[in-house]
Amino acid sequence: MPAARAETDFPGTHAGFAAGFDWLRERLDAQELGAAPRYNVELVFEEIVSNIVSYGAVRGRELRIRVTLESAAATIVLIFEDNGIAFDPCQRTTAPPHARSLEEAQLGGFGLILVRHAARSFTYERTSAGCNRVTVTLQRAAG
Amino acid sequence: MQMQVQDAGEGLVNVALVGRLDTPGVDAIETRLTAHLVPRGARAIVDLSQVAFLGSGGIRMFISIARALGRRGGKLALYAPQPLVAEVLETTSLNDVVPVRADSASAAAAVRG
Repeated sequence: MPAARAETDFPGTHAGFAAGFDWLRERLDAQELGAAPRYNVELVFEEIVSNIVSYGAVRGRELRIRVTLESAAATIVLIFEDNGIAFDPCQRTTAPPHARSLEEAQLGGFGLILVRHAARSFTYERTSAGCNRVTVTLQRAAG
Repeated sequence: MQMQVQDAGEGLVNVALVGRLDTPGVDAIETRLTAHLVPRGARAIVDLSQVAFLGSGGIRMFISIARALGRRGGKLALYAPQPLVAEVLETTSLNDVVPVRADSASAAAAVRG
């Protein structure tokens, strides 16, 4: 398939999140993508964007999120850019929390574990414009 | 996200979830599901067979409800997840602390045991 690129920009709010997800689903509907890769793309979008919406806002500034979807023969690349608080998700733990009991179990941190599991690669940079940029590459084929 | 709660007798509550347990889906049911189960310390089993998507918000919700139930003498088990949902349960190790079973009978046995 020829490489394709699409991008959207939305406010870092619950309504913006929903609109962004609708945009993603429309693009994925137009592609021949297996159930597992599609699940992984949606999972990555869900976890990265919900993190930004929940924790990224800076007082006195509208939080904006730009998502770029790059589709090629073997990979799908999602690029997330936001103007929120500097946060490098790649520095967070890779190990699943092994709790021995419910009382010990963590309530958070699962999103980035799921992103790492779904992704072939996962990188972060702080741009010269002062934005977070997270790039996640996924395999088109299940595996 | 749809939720049906049914008293299955002998103190067992069966919850059928239908839809996506993404951020909006969790927001839509978490308060109601907690209110149905936690105050009475239910022994609850949750049918995941019609849940097409599970993200970290759903994992957090299940841990939170299971923990609250445990403090009231209740228990939570999940059953019949679709394969991709089951992978999320395993990746997050939720199945280490909340029983995940293949069917309703074995989930009921897990919360009664």
